[in-house]
Amino acid sequence: MNHIKIVLVILFYVLFFNTGASLAASSVDDIVKKVEDNLNGETAYLQFTMVVQTKRSKRTMKMDSWSIGKDKSFIKITYPGKDRGITFLKVDKAMWQYVPRIEKIIKIPASMMLQSWMGSDFSNDDLVRESSISEDYQATLVGEDEKEYFLDLHAREEAPVVWGRIRMHISKKHYLPTTVSYYDEDDILVRVLDYLEVESFGAHYYPTRWLMLPKDEEKAGHLTEIVVEHAVFDEKIDEAYFSKRALKRFSR
Amino acid sequence: MFVNFAMKNIRAYRNRSLVTILLTTLTTAMLVFATAFMDGSHEKMLQNAVEIYPGYIQVTQKDFRQKPSLDNLIFDAGAVRQVVGQRSGIEGFAARFETFVLYAGDEKAVGGMLTGIEPEEEQKLSRLASSLVDGAYLDNQDDNKLYMGYELARRLKVQVGDHLSFVGTGADYSFAADNLQVKGVFKTGLFEFDASAAFVNKSYFNKVMAAENYASHFIILPANPDDADLIATALNGDLDTEYLAESWRTTMEGLVQAMLVDSIFGYLTLSVIFIVIFFVILIYTWLTVFARMREIGVLRAVGTMPGQIFKMLVTESVLLAFCSVVLGGIIGAALAYYFHLHPIYFSFSEEQFKQYGLAASAMPTAFAPLVIMRDMAVMFVLSVGSTLYPIIKANRVKPIEAIHHV
Amino acid sequence: MFRVLLRIALASLGRRLSRSMLVVLMIAMSLWGLLFMEGIYDGMTEQFIDNAIRSDSGDISIFAKGYRLDPGLEKAIERFDEIEHVLTADNRIRSHVRRLRQDGLIATAHYSRNAAIYGVELEAEERHGRLASYLREGVYDFGKKGRGVILGSRLAAKMKVGLGKKIILSAQNRDNDVSALSLRVTGILKTNNMALDENAVFIGIDKARELLLLPAGASQISIMVHDKEEVPAVQKQLAAQFANLDVMAWNSLYPALHQGREMMEVFNLITSLLVFCVAGLGIFGVMLVSVLERLREFGIMLAIGTTFQEIRTIVFVESFILGLSGYCCGSLLGGLTLFYFYQYGLDLTMFSAGLDAFGMDAITYALIRPSYFLTALAAVTGATLISVLVPLRILQKARPIEAINKI
Repeated sequence: MNHIKIVLVILFYVLFFNTGASLAASSVDDIVKKVEDNLNGETAYLQFTMVVQTKRSKRTMKMDSWSIGKDKSFIKITYPGKDRGITFLKVDKAMWQYVPRIEKIIKIPASMMLQSWMGSDFSNDDLVRESSISEDYQATLVGEDEKEYFLDLHAREEAPVVWGRIRMHISKKHYLPTTVSYYDEDDILVRVLDYLEVESFGAHYYPTRWLMLPKDEEKAGHLTEIVVEHAVFDEKIDEAYFSKRALKRFSR
Repeated sequence: MFVNFAMKNIRAYRNRSLVTILLTTLTTAMLVFATAFMDGSHEKMLQNAVEIYPGYIQVTQKDFRQKPSLDNLIFDAGAVRQVVGQRSGIEGFAARFETFVLYAGDEKAVGGMLTGIEPEEEQKLSRLASSLVDGAYLDNQDDNKLYMGYELARRLKVQVGDHLSFVGTGADYSFAADNLQVKGVFKTGLFEFDASAAFVNKSYFNKVMAAENYASHFIILPANPDDADLIATALNGDLDTEYLAESWRTTMEGLVQAMLVDSIFGYLTLSVIFIVIFFVILIYTWLTVFARMREIGVLRAVGTMPGQIFKMLVTESVLLAFCSVVLGGIIGAALAYYFHLHPIYFSFSEEQFKQYGLAASAMPTAFAPLVIMRDMAVMFVLSVGSTLYPIIKANRVKPIEAIHHV
Repeated sequence: MFRVLLRIALASLGRRLSRSMLVVLMIAMSLWGLLFMEGIYDGMTEQFIDNAIRSDSGDISIFAKGYRLDPGLEKAIERFDEIEHVLTADNRIRSHVRRLRQDGLIATAHYSRNAAIYGVELEAEERHGRLASYLREGVYDFGKKGRGVILGSRLAAKMKVGLGKKIILSAQNRDNDVSALSLRVTGILKTNNMALDENAVFIGIDKARELLLLPAGASQISIMVHDKEEVPAVQKQLAAQFANLDVMAWNSLYPALHQGREMMEVFNLITSLLVFCVAGLGIFGVMLVSVLERLREFGIMLAIGTTFQEIRTIVFVESFILGLSGYCCGSLLGGLTLFYFYQYGLDLTMFSAGLDAFGMDAITYALIRPSYFLTALAAVTGATLISVLVPLRILQKARPIEAINKI
């Protein structure tokens, strides 16, 4: 009787902790954590260009961003001229916008959260919730090759995220994502985000080209590309950026 | 000969003639008027619903109604304008561009529609301009002047002359924002519309929204609204297959059907009344025919064929029915015509109309001679028909029995 | 004596059996039509009102002052216990429920829409307005952990979500931050209260409190009374008692429905009047002829000592028998028809697009009110009696005794 029990216990371990993947559950979470940390840095200052391509047009915007961890960030548009000085502030889950042309600070209401951000294929919500992956998803390793881990992130039941599953390819070399595919609840692919061209900024490796490709039929022909032109990580950033007053103050 | 006989008998049996004429006249007048009223009020309600904003014909990019995105706009408004301008039977047309924006007043930010219109053309096509309650309507020279719904203004706590801002997305997906000054406030009575819609001059809109030569749709006013379907079909032939012209019957199908349901219930009520009326006509015919049983018996005895008697009796009914239907038709038509010119005002049901987005309480009756003729014909057939049973029944009686009928 | 008169009346009716049958048939048919119409129309009107009352307003609703004009979380009804105490103590009040409402956003990976979020207590709602009967799909339950959500039917259709699907609900909370919840669709409701079907998202009131960071308070208290007659009195009393709140009866919350009911009453009255006047005319004709053709007969009766009183009774009885038979047939027919439509309803699904535009149920269940039959009885009796007055007058003037000598 006891023997059977022992066999069963062993079998159980074999089945659940050793099939296919060579990593235990805790180390999968570690990977995600590491990826998140690498993407956010303790602090980050970025200069990037965003190219929004639609069926008919192609627009280029440039902006600067300052962030601390994943909870605080400040973005300022620097190009084109007509949008110059528009600033965004995100603190925790709230988001404000300042528009110099109308001289107003607007708090983005709940009903606008899923609207497109600056006409791109990112939503306001993407910015706000950018990196709560480790909180909202349950990660499992579904495979790997010599270069990458393949992770499936299943939305936790109680997590307020629209995706059903996120498939993330992670480079083993840098612990940075390479391809992130977003699926809806019925496992239909909705959009794909590619992180390309990793470069080093000091001690920090960072993907400098991001491609967001929506797969919804209604968004055929749309593509948003972000190119990071300059980045500084883990240097002290003035807390003054992360107050509502900063929106106006740093707009100029 | 039959006519003479019939006339004589009609005079002889005054009571029956009178009641038949009275009832048939009344019924005909009632049917004609009720139909005119129902058709008229439905037409009016639809007309209001159509004319307040949606318009009789809309031209959109073919996928726009299913997927109203910035990718499915009319990107060559000039081409559409040219095609529509060449078609005859069109009173006027104008381009519009609808977008969803965030309005920010001093206290509050509220989501709503911002629509670029061609103010002077629009004025002829919809009731926007005439729904003005405060300030002034837009004109073609206006810049950042806003013409906004009453409820929206209330929600944002702004008045004529006040400033507010909007933040939205331009036609090229670019960021768009500007300050606006409230020029006028309108109230169509449709709560949803008044609580979310606001308008600016399209030439200004084109600048801030990067929408030069773009439109989300055109609205077209046919010279004769009844031709809306025909013109829409013709336009679909003229226009590039990229575009789609649809009449209000398609764009507002639910309302059209609702009116149909209402008519069905209207006719149901009328038919209850008619059943009784025709029973009464039947009874009166019965009474006269049987009162003349002996006369019929004598006629049969002297060799008159049942067919001839039948013809004689039916001629009476036909004469009576004809006179009363004509009389009733004239009365009904006169009423319909009068209330066509002088609409009936229903102040007590205003709320109800609003609830269904109809915003109208003055209801003219329809005056359509063809429909009136149809109703008269129906009444004629029913009136004559209801006398047939007693006539046939009387004709079946054997001459001897008939003579002895008491 | 009366039995003799009755027999004479029956005999004379029997002699003209077809004619009598025609009159009976006429009355029966008109009554049938009228009853059907009244029952269906009233059913329709009451269904409208009932839907609004049960799904939203109750007989009476309490809001914080000014909430209706400018809704917001800051305008929540406080001191709920106190109000509840008053409501529970009043034995005219059958039940009450509280709801917490906030506008927000419902989203899936593909779509997002504005929504009205209602925090409700399902069990209380069921007792209150039988909310579960509006359930079209799924279950009337928010699940064990309250992670379920019940959507308005049109909203579900526009979001293209079905049962079991995940939706994200976000709204401005009490601290003016956006908070969000992940929920699964457990049910879909169609109340035919258009505003609800189009926008409503029902979640447990505790979940709503969690989402909105509002530990207490409610946006609306909906009240049902036992006896609808008492609505104005209760409303007045509560309004006086809670001067700092808005206490409104259903008819001021849904003025259109109130107007609709009044219009329907007037409309039914006019139709009934018309029908009975015309039917009276029919009876009149028959009775007139039946009196005139029996002038000699009545003359003989008078000659052998029958009083005019008795003859009048005979005529009245005849007329009344006609009326009553017609009434019985018509009531039976109408009653059965109404009962059928009461049970199974009148199905107008083929016009569903139009009905939806009206916010009307596709199936209308007829009402059966005793008053229909009582009014009809009174009307038929009235019509039969009035319609013999003139024939009797003529009879009296004609001096039947002289009539014997004629011919």
